[in-house]
This record gives sequence, structure tokens and C-alpha cells, in this order.
Amino acid sequence: MLDAKIILYMLGLTVSLVAGVLLGYFLRNKRRMSLNRITLGIIIILIFSLGFSIGSSNELLSALPKVGLDALVITLLAICFSVVFAKIAGKMVKLE
Amino acid sequence: MIKYILAALGIGVVAGYLSSNWGSILVGNFISDYVFNGALLSLLLVMGASFGMDKDSIAKMRQTGIRILVVPFAIAIGSVLGGLIGGLILGIDVVACMAVSAGYGWYTLAGPLIGQLFGAEWGTLGFVSNFLRELLTIVAISLLIRMDRYAPVASGGATSMDTTLPVIVRYSGSGALITAFSSGFALSVAAPFSIMAIATLK
Repeated sequence: MLDAKIILYMLGLTVSLVAGVLLGYFLRNKRRMSLNRITLGIIIILIFSLGFSIGSSNELLSALPKVGLDALVITLLAICFSVVFAKIAGKMVKLE
Repeated sequence: MIKYILAALGIGVVAGYLSSNWGSILVGNFISDYVFNGALLSLLLVMGASFGMDKDSIAKMRQTGIRILVVPFAIAIGSVLGGLIGGLILGIDVVACMAVSAGYGWYTLAGPLIGQLFGAEWGTLGFVSNFLRELLTIVAISLLIRMDRYAPVASGGATSMDTTLPVIVRYSGSGALITAFSSGFALSVAAPFSIMAIATLK
């Protein structure tokens, strides 16, 4: 369920994002610095630590061969229908 | 760029595996919790700043407004329908499969919650299936972006507010930031309620 820890986590992410947008907005006329390099570096760190959690989860590694195929079928279908529905919805309300 | 991401993921998995078997628990927890959260929060700050500097993106966001929530709504319906059809194809409990796909990629929630409502074996399926959703979104991002501009967000589901957000924004551009985050946020809030609502059907 949405317990206190999860709410705090989501709140933290939102505060971080809003702070970033405001910071960018007020600094928009200052000289632009390239954030691309920095972003890529942090993404690599993030993905590494994500992989680390996956690799260190014995629960996940032992379950993968057992239910992997069923899970893959369900996931691929869920992804396909989500993509199609999102595309249709985007067109319907003219999000462009 | 995708090769750096895949390399980082692969090295991470190996390092995590080695660490959990022979390394110190403290180091493992430090990387999975502090390094992960630190990287994520700073990414949101930096990507938010890029967005805030971009006048076009802000104008577009103002124009779209609340209609943006149509995207996560469509993703939720698409996911549950995918679970339904998956259950029919596999010939297993259709309602449980719908609950599995209503995790929208949030495997740490879907696993235990579905386990509680449908039994342990379904919990395992919910855990693995939603984990694969996150993994496939990262691995197939360059393929997804060629399908549709909302395809990476749709594929990421609830994870498009955290783990898959940086990769999505990196590929789709700053303009996708708010769409991806708000969709992931809405789906994260919706996931536990969707799973519990579907559980009442069994």
C-alpha cells in the first residue's frame, strides 16, 4: 500500500523536480551551460545501482527461470496495448 | 548512448550478484539505497532545470494542462487489457493476470500486494512481470521512441517517474519530462488501488 515511506519517496522526487524547474526558469537568461555530460554521467550511476539491486536480489534471480516466460508474455502484451492506447488517446485530445 | 546504459546495467547486475554472495551487506545497501536515491534526486533537479530553461517546453505544458492525464489513463486501461489477453493466451487465471499487469511496472509494490491477495505464486509472477516491464523499457528504448512519442512513457508505466525517467527524457527530449513524470506519478498512485479493485473480481 501507499505507506509513509512511499509517500515520502514520491514527495522527495516531486520536490526535486519542481525545484529544478524553478531553478532553470529563473536562470534561463544566464549563460547556458551544457548539462548533457553531467546528465549522462548520473544516468550511468543510476542504471548501475539499479542493476546492482537486481543482481543482489536473490528473490528475483530465483523466480526468473520459474515464471519468466509467463511474465514475459503478460508484460509484452501490457506494453503493446499501453503504447497503442496512449497513441490513440494522444490523438483524441490533440496533445501535440 | 544505449550501449553505455546497457553496459552499466550489466556490470551493475554482476557487481550486485557478487556483492550479495561474497561482499558486505553495508556496501550493498549503500549502493541500492543511497547511491540510487542520490543519483535520482540530482537527475530530477538537473533535468528539471533543463526543462525550466526551455521556453518552448513550458509553453507546450501550459497549453496541454490537465489533459495530460489522459495519457496515464490510457496506459492503465491498455495494461489491464494486455493482462487479460495474456491470461487467455496462457490459459491461466485471467483476473490474477489483470492484477499482475495493473502493477504498471512497480514490482516492489505489485509482488507483495498480489502475493497477499492472490497467493504467493501470483506474487512471484507479479514481481517478475513488473520487473521485466522496467527492464524492457530501458533495453528497448531506442526501438520504442521510433514507434510513437508517447511509447516510452506508455511502456515505462509507473516507472516513468523514477527509474526509466532519465532514459526517456534523454531520448525524447526535455519536452517529455512533465508528461513522463506526471504519467508515472499518476500510475504509481493508481497501482495499489487498481490491483485491489481487480482482486474484488475474483
